[in-house]
Amino acid sequence: MEGEALIKVDDVRHAFLSKTGEEEVLALDGINIDIARGEMVSLIGPSGCGKSTLLNVVGGMIAASQGHVLIGGTPVKGPRPKDVAYIFQESALLPWATILDNIKVSLEFQGVPRASRDKIARISLTAVGLDAFGDSYPHQLSGGMKQRAALARALSLRTDILLMDEPFAALDEQTRMIFSEDLSRLLANEHKTIVLVTHSLAEAVFLSDRIFVFTSRPGRIKAVLNVDEPHPRIPTFMTSSKFNDLRNRLYELLRDEVLAAIGKDRQGLA
Amino acid sequence: MIAAPRKLPAPWVLRTFVVLILLLVWEIAGRHGSQLLFSPLSKVLTSGLQIFAEAEVLEALKTTAWILVVGFVLSVAIGLVLGLTVSMSRFTYQTFLPVLLLLYAIPQITVLPLFVLYFGSGPASKVAFGVSHGMFPIAVSVIAGVQGIKPLLVTSAISMGASRWQIFRRITLPYLTPSLFTGMRLASTATLLGVLLAELYVSAGGIGHLTRRFGENFQPDKLYALIAALSLMAILINETMRMLERRYSRWL
Repeated sequence: MEGEALIKVDDVRHAFLSKTGEEEVLALDGINIDIARGEMVSLIGPSGCGKSTLLNVVGGMIAASQGHVLIGGTPVKGPRPKDVAYIFQESALLPWATILDNIKVSLEFQGVPRASRDKIARISLTAVGLDAFGDSYPHQLSGGMKQRAALARALSLRTDILLMDEPFAALDEQTRMIFSEDLSRLLANEHKTIVLVTHSLAEAVFLSDRIFVFTSRPGRIKAVLNVDEPHPRIPTFMTSSKFNDLRNRLYELLRDEVLAAIGKDRQGLA
Repeated sequence: MIAAPRKLPAPWVLRTFVVLILLLVWEIAGRHGSQLLFSPLSKVLTSGLQIFAEAEVLEALKTTAWILVVGFVLSVAIGLVLGLTVSMSRFTYQTFLPVLLLLYAIPQITVLPLFVLYFGSGPASKVAFGVSHGMFPIAVSVIAGVQGIKPLLVTSAISMGASRWQIFRRITLPYLTPSLFTGMRLASTATLLGVLLAELYVSAGGIGHLTRRFGENFQPDKLYALIAALSLMAILINETMRMLERRYSRWL
């Protein structure tokens, strides 16, 4: 990796109080990650391993108990709307506003002057192929189109960094595949730095430059896989032996951790 | 084999029929009962309706109408502020909601003498009693509306740099608008009830006062005509509110 990292996660540890408020639960421990500008990184691990928590620490939505995150060299102390845009698991679109108005409100939140909001919103809608749906309401769109609108909104914020928290989770298998391909093509042009939290092995391999595999709770980095494949990734990559090898290695790395996580749950039940 | 469903007449046909039967029963009963206690429909329509030409009745209608308007506007304002204050945080919600519900649960008519004590027997106590009926439905609806906001919408707005005011203006306010209109519909009839009760028991003006006088003077035809006018008023208000409610909850 050349030069200074755009995102630097420096020895982050995070603990939170359990629901009963009595015991402290260690969610993340000893996390060090350097992410270069333009890199696409996935965080994968069993449920409850703290990968979403880490994403929120990077986004400044959660303050870590220890350690810190640097973006562009300055410590993250809260939301950084000029640097970071989010895409969430389910669409966080306002149901009473049209898609276009949703994007314009987001631009207002970000502090973009009123005069330029409409133009920026329309450009990003065109980029994701939703230019004909600007006047539609979220409930009129399919799940895939809603996530596409969420992507358009994130792009319109013109941030260097995109944080995605399982953006495909609510979509069906086929929509996910198409969406992944679109995403890869789009993001290759945008040169954004992306951190993706996912459960899907195939998505992680298909989209990422590097994949961070997390242990079960407390979340530590177990391994890092490099996917040496140029962007945009094309569908034939998904059927290549390279893809399969990586996917299988990822599965082996994860299997023990998933079993460990399930085991902990079982003990909790007993 | 499943029998083909029989075609039922449209609901309004039967509904009209039921209403006609009731009116007929009223007419027959009115003609055979005491004219002091009861008045047939035909008499209400002929002599009863004449009261709306009397200056006194028109004056009473006007009085009640403007007190109702003032009371309703105050109910909305106070109810909205109350509801938003309670919804400000988890802390305010847990602190103030039980108190609000407790006050709401008090049978309000028992407090009417206090209102007379504080506000006198003029329009002020009528407005106040109307407001005490109208503000609670508004407050409770607003609170329920704010509670229903998806936390993800707020999280997402915060991540994009939204200020507290922007979150209120762009998320809280539009989200609670349908609940606010539901509250306003309930509050409009509640305010009317409060105002009429105050007039009925306390003041010397307005429709509530007239209904009492017509009752005490054994003029059932006039009383019925007045009740009909009041019902019409309540229905009009309710339907207007329902239209607004639907207009502003299209996205639901």
